[in-house]
Amino acid sequence: MKYEMSRVVRTVTDILVVPIIIFGIYLIIHGHLTPGGGFQGGAVIASSTALLVIAYGSFGKHKKDLSSLESLGLTLFILLALIGMGSTMFYNYISGTGGLFGGTLPSLGINPGYINTGGTITLMNLMVGLEVSAALSLIIWMMSKRSGMMEPEETISPSEEVEK
Amino acid sequence: MSWESLLLMMPYITVVLLMVIGLFTVLFKKNLIKIIMGITIMQNGANLFLVSLAYRSGEYAPIFTSAESTDMVMPTPHALTLTSIVIGLATTALMLSFTIMIKRHYGSINTEDVRRCKE
Amino acid sequence: MNFDIFVHSPAFILGIPLLFAFLTPLVNRLSEQLRNVVFGIGLVLTAFFVGLMSYQVLTEGSWLYVFGANQPEPQNLLSYFYFRITFVADSFAVLATITISITAVAAGIYSYGFMKDETGLNKFYTLFLLTLAGVNGMVLTGDLFNLFVWFEVTSVASCALVAFRNYRGRSVEAALKYMVLSTVGGLLVLFSIGLMYGQYGVLNYALLTQSISGTFIDKLALGLLVVIFAMKASSAPMHMWAPDAYSEAPGSVTPFIAITSLGSLFVLFRLLFGVIGVNVDPSVSGTLLIILGVLSMIVGVTMALVQTDLKRLIAYLSVSQVGYMMMAVGVGLATLNSADYQNFGTLAMKGGLFHMINDGVYKALLFLSAVAVVHVTDIRSLNKLGGLAHDMPYTTVFFLIGALSIAGIPPLSGFSSKLLIYQSVYLYSPVLAIVALVVSIITLAVVGKAFFNAFLGPDQGLAEKKVPSSMLFGMGLLTVVVIIFTLFPNLIVSEIVSPAVKALVGVMP
Repeated sequence: MKYEMSRVVRTVTDILVVPIIIFGIYLIIHGHLTPGGGFQGGAVIASSTALLVIAYGSFGKHKKDLSSLESLGLTLFILLALIGMGSTMFYNYISGTGGLFGGTLPSLGINPGYINTGGTITLMNLMVGLEVSAALSLIIWMMSKRSGMMEPEETISPSEEVEK
Repeated sequence: MSWESLLLMMPYITVVLLMVIGLFTVLFKKNLIKIIMGITIMQNGANLFLVSLAYRSGEYAPIFTSAESTDMVMPTPHALTLTSIVIGLATTALMLSFTIMIKRHYGSINTEDVRRCKE
Repeated sequence: MNFDIFVHSPAFILGIPLLFAFLTPLVNRLSEQLRNVVFGIGLVLTAFFVGLMSYQVLTEGSWLYVFGANQPEPQNLLSYFYFRITFVADSFAVLATITISITAVAAGIYSYGFMKDETGLNKFYTLFLLTLAGVNGMVLTGDLFNLFVWFEVTSVASCALVAFRNYRGRSVEAALKYMVLSTVGGLLVLFSIGLMYGQYGVLNYALLTQSISGTFIDKLALGLLVVIFAMKASSAPMHMWAPDAYSEAPGSVTPFIAITSLGSLFVLFRLLFGVIGVNVDPSVSGTLLIILGVLSMIVGVTMALVQTDLKRLIAYLSVSQVGYMMMAVGVGLATLNSADYQNFGTLAMKGGLFHMINDGVYKALLFLSAVAVVHVTDIRSLNKLGGLAHDMPYTTVFFLIGALSIAGIPPLSGFSSKLLIYQSVYLYSPVLAIVALVVSIITLAVVGKAFFNAFLGPDQGLAEKKVPSSMLFGMGLLTVVVIIFTLFPNLIVSEIVSPAVKALVGVMP
């Protein structure tokens, strides 16, 4: 209980976490049109983790899942890049093919910006967003645990120096 | 020197100030956290330098707006700055983690106590 | 559309280690055996694509690989340059990537046995492959900004590798020291990139070479880049991080950390020859390189004389070996625009670059065999070691081959490259050749002391366990490569080193 903050803080956190995550997802999806993108959106999502850590002082036992999510995002990112290898690595192979991601622009020049025109860029932004949100949450979680802000899961004894 | 040209020089003056303050902190402070803060200040200086290089008077940001494409600035420095911010996050997080571990091993984050490698 | 795997090999050299680096933690959740297999496949596949790229470059000539374009080799180069990321696949990159991948494969196989008892190994393998991708990217890249990105990837991954055994305070301390230096260095690299971009509006090597005129700001940027990359290459006045990082890293990655500094040296040479240096009066930058080289040679070997810690001793020796390459290539650079270049400048370049590939291999052999000694006995001090030849005969032979090679004893491979350096440097200035010879003799004394103290003498029963077979295999692989270099130095020089010199000095593709 020592690590939890007051009921007011916890309630406000519960309310705020949802819009923060939604704003992060918005930044990721619109990354190819407006300022934003995978990293920025992921960082916004990870800030909700920081809020949870401060308010509740614990974050469950999802370390392994977060770590795997991070690796999964990066693996898919590189795979998406490698699929383009028919032309070159990172080739935007679904640009202009229509559908959910590869819509075509009517013409270059003044237009309001169409959400489905990113091609692989949108997909890669999603993967980067997955990776960054997981990795930053992991960093926040590990650091706050090590610096005594959170409920320790295992006791950390000042380790004996191993000298050879 | 007129006021306007001085105003245009302001970003570069700030860059030099930030770099010098950061370098001073890294070189002369004994506290590891302060050294890392100095590195972060230097990072911001370098980023500000890149962003001010991209500025062209009267032109638009290179995003999806209604401007003519010839009126937009080159987005290369912005891409560089974003990448450098991401890298800066990674390095800062790694250095802070090292500092946490050093605190656990040595019981201090003063550079004068942290020199077992020299022995 | 025909898919030519040879042309795509630079992208695979980058993509494969990255893919397998992020795959290992995922596979680790399934099984640990499978994770080791995946790591091995990643290493071997990377080396395989290095082989493909080398074959293509040495038979067909160099090319520029453009990422994200609709075909790998662009028809109209200029229209691609401003926005695209390019990789340069030429003979110089071949020399660098071959050196890197030989050491990486040997160190990776060695890690299986050496790191067996550690925990969190999936992170170790990830960092190992990330460092491999970073160094390869650094030597292959064709523009300054990509260089910064790979520089930082290499720094972050190799610093985390140095601190991997975080239950030892010294490892974390060495890693933090290395990290602070690398980060400040990286920022200054970024700053000098900004200086170049602000003047010319381009970042590509080839376009920069055409447009640089040698203004004061160019000289400032070049000076910053030279200092930073010389620092990463552990050259003398900035070498203080190297002994700490080399000796406190987990033993099996020590040669790999040394390879990252060799990679920085490759980048330094490429910047000096291909990009900025030739436009800014090569004789000045060549003289600077010679001064740094001589300083590294002398400082490294004199510090090595007084060391009693086996790993630190070899770390200082590696600092002094870096000096040889910088001196030889510096002579080539200083004479670049004069008639002397044809007389002895090319020979010095060949000697310097041949010494790089030699040094990468025998230094790794020396490090790995010294680490095997520490692994088996848990003792680092040369005063306490002794008589190990009775218990570890193979390691003794490996250490002896590496030691004789680093001292430049004929007929081993270190001798053939050092001979080229002596010959050519003597014609430039006899003093330099004498310094190089004296340093070589002191190196022999240092490794002789280490060998006698550690391996010869009565059996003291210090070896507590056997050397695992994977560690022996890793060292054996490097020994085979050293012996190949010993037997066919002419072949290596004419097939790999001479094209690299031509690619380095000539215009970019």
